[in-house]
Amino acid sequence: MPRYIGMRLLQGIFTVWFIATATFWVMHSIPGDPLESEKAMSPEIRANLEAKYGLDKNEFIQYWIFLGNMVRGDFGWSFEHENRRVNDIIAEQFPVSATLGILAIVFAGLGGVLWGALTALYRNKWPDVLIIILVILGISVPSFVFATVGQLGIVTLNKIAGIDVPVAGWGTVWHMLIPALVLGLGTMAFLTRLMRTSMLEIVNADYIRTARSKGVPIAQIFSRHQLRNAILPVLTVLGPSIAGITTGGFVVENVFGIPGLGKYFVTAVQQSDYGVIMGTTVFYGAFLVLMVIIVDLLYAVVDPRVRLNK
Amino acid sequence: MTANSLLQVSNLHVEFTTYGGIVHAVRGADFHVERGETLAIVGESGCGKSVAVQSVLGLIPIPPGRITQGEAILDGHQILGHQTIEGKDIRGNRVGMIFQDPMTSLNPTMTIGNQIAEPLKLHRKMSGAQAKKRAIELLEMTKIPEAAKRASQYPFEFSGGMLQRAMIAMAIACEPDLLIADEPTTALDVTIQAQILELIKDLQQEVGMGLILITHDLGVVAGVADRVVVMYAGEILESGTADEIFFAPSHPYTLGLLSAMPTNRRDVVQTLMPIPGSPPDLFSPPEGCGYAARCPQAMEACVANRPTQFTVSDSHFSKCWLHHEACEHRVLEVQQV
Repeated sequence: MPRYIGMRLLQGIFTVWFIATATFWVMHSIPGDPLESEKAMSPEIRANLEAKYGLDKNEFIQYWIFLGNMVRGDFGWSFEHENRRVNDIIAEQFPVSATLGILAIVFAGLGGVLWGALTALYRNKWPDVLIIILVILGISVPSFVFATVGQLGIVTLNKIAGIDVPVAGWGTVWHMLIPALVLGLGTMAFLTRLMRTSMLEIVNADYIRTARSKGVPIAQIFSRHQLRNAILPVLTVLGPSIAGITTGGFVVENVFGIPGLGKYFVTAVQQSDYGVIMGTTVFYGAFLVLMVIIVDLLYAVVDPRVRLNK
Repeated sequence: MTANSLLQVSNLHVEFTTYGGIVHAVRGADFHVERGETLAIVGESGCGKSVAVQSVLGLIPIPPGRITQGEAILDGHQILGHQTIEGKDIRGNRVGMIFQDPMTSLNPTMTIGNQIAEPLKLHRKMSGAQAKKRAIELLEMTKIPEAAKRASQYPFEFSGGMLQRAMIAMAIACEPDLLIADEPTTALDVTIQAQILELIKDLQQEVGMGLILITHDLGVVAGVADRVVVMYAGEILESGTADEIFFAPSHPYTLGLLSAMPTNRRDVVQTLMPIPGSPPDLFSPPEGCGYAARCPQAMEACVANRPTQFTVSDSHFSKCWLHHEACEHRVLEVQQV
């Protein structure tokens, strides 16, 4: 097991290096650079700035400097946000995005398993049909639509119930719930479908018949025999779906006015803010790689067959 | 048949509703098993032998399945549609069951020990530790080496034969009155088959339970059964003691089955005789005898009239018009088997 974890971490480091390298070269091949702006700049000032940020050096040397700094965990300065280090931006904004993302994953995972199990229990009856229609909506409607519908919902609810749930912004738990729900909705819908299929497959499995022949009550067959086995395929896709939720997060953060990392991630590319681009990309990459490894380890906990094979 | 058989099934009819129509899977099955006795139910694939037994225990999916007629009396109590006798569970407690494919019949994400302990906790109200201890004893009873270590392993760490032993341990955990083995050796290779059958026989004598052995392997039947029931197209064509069925078969279908069985006796020069044709369509079962279309001795009467049960001896019954007194008594040729 430790050997397996070590191997996975090594693979992860390689993946992050690859992400960093690819992003670096793609970023430098895009026309324009961070010093270009509407204001005209005299050649002397430009030369000074280039020297200050090291942009006058050969790109291969820049790459080596960047790699060296990255290993030390330093992504340098932002070009656009004056006197802010990229590390500070990440440290300040990322916890917000992470909280939102993790909450969304929890919503998606729990909801997917719950609804999926429910549809399988009521197969072809009205709860199943209803949930499946909602699932198709959840998969096909983009998250910015749900985000605005969510805001509308909050406003209406506030009016009817006479309460004061915040429509946008960040700070309390009430700020988080609706955005996280909106963010997790697509993944939840997808996981519901997956869970339904795998539950239905398992209803007819031989070992369920065995459990019934032992006189195990239905509720216990469901919780002890069906659920754990049915959850396996859901866990497999949970890792990759974290990536989907992270990218979806940019839109939802924007609509709900949440001060997450998403804004920096998007605007940095438009502004060719080299430091922020590299910082956010590499950081998110590493984060996702770590999450996928954690989900795989979780899989080994649920499915005993995975443990000894590695 | 005695008044207080362990299990008495009478006139059982089971149907399944499918897209293609209604399948009449079991069309009037009668059989009984006594305490400590081994009853073998034989017949080819799809003849309804598993369905008949599983429907008695309520293990067939309802719907699409449906028991339309019949009764099943376990130890004096009607059990069709019931899960308990006097508040005590039937399944796993009074009746244990072993299935065909041990590789898929055990939960892959639960340890063997926990799976064996489950019925003990449910029916015997044992604590976790007690049940675990008993599970290890049961694994020892089924001759699994290093039982304590094995109990905490998962099904994928067991071989097929070992899994079937674990299945048996699970089925007999609560010392049932009746053990049902549904093709217990079909998925195993021949040497393991013999060991498993021997184990089942030994445990049956040890615990003193009745045993219903469902199989399509006549070799298995000859080795272990006291009595045999021959099923075809959802009905029972012949029943009798093992000796009667093997040495004095009184139904052309049984005769056909025996002729299709290889022997290793040197003094018998025998070519295997297959039964031509295939079983009737159970969507619309034939009006008369189910076997008439394939029977070499079929008469006109067989096609239109369903045979009634004829008594050959006190323990031997056959559903064949050849036994009718109006029939000019064609002799059933008993071949040397």
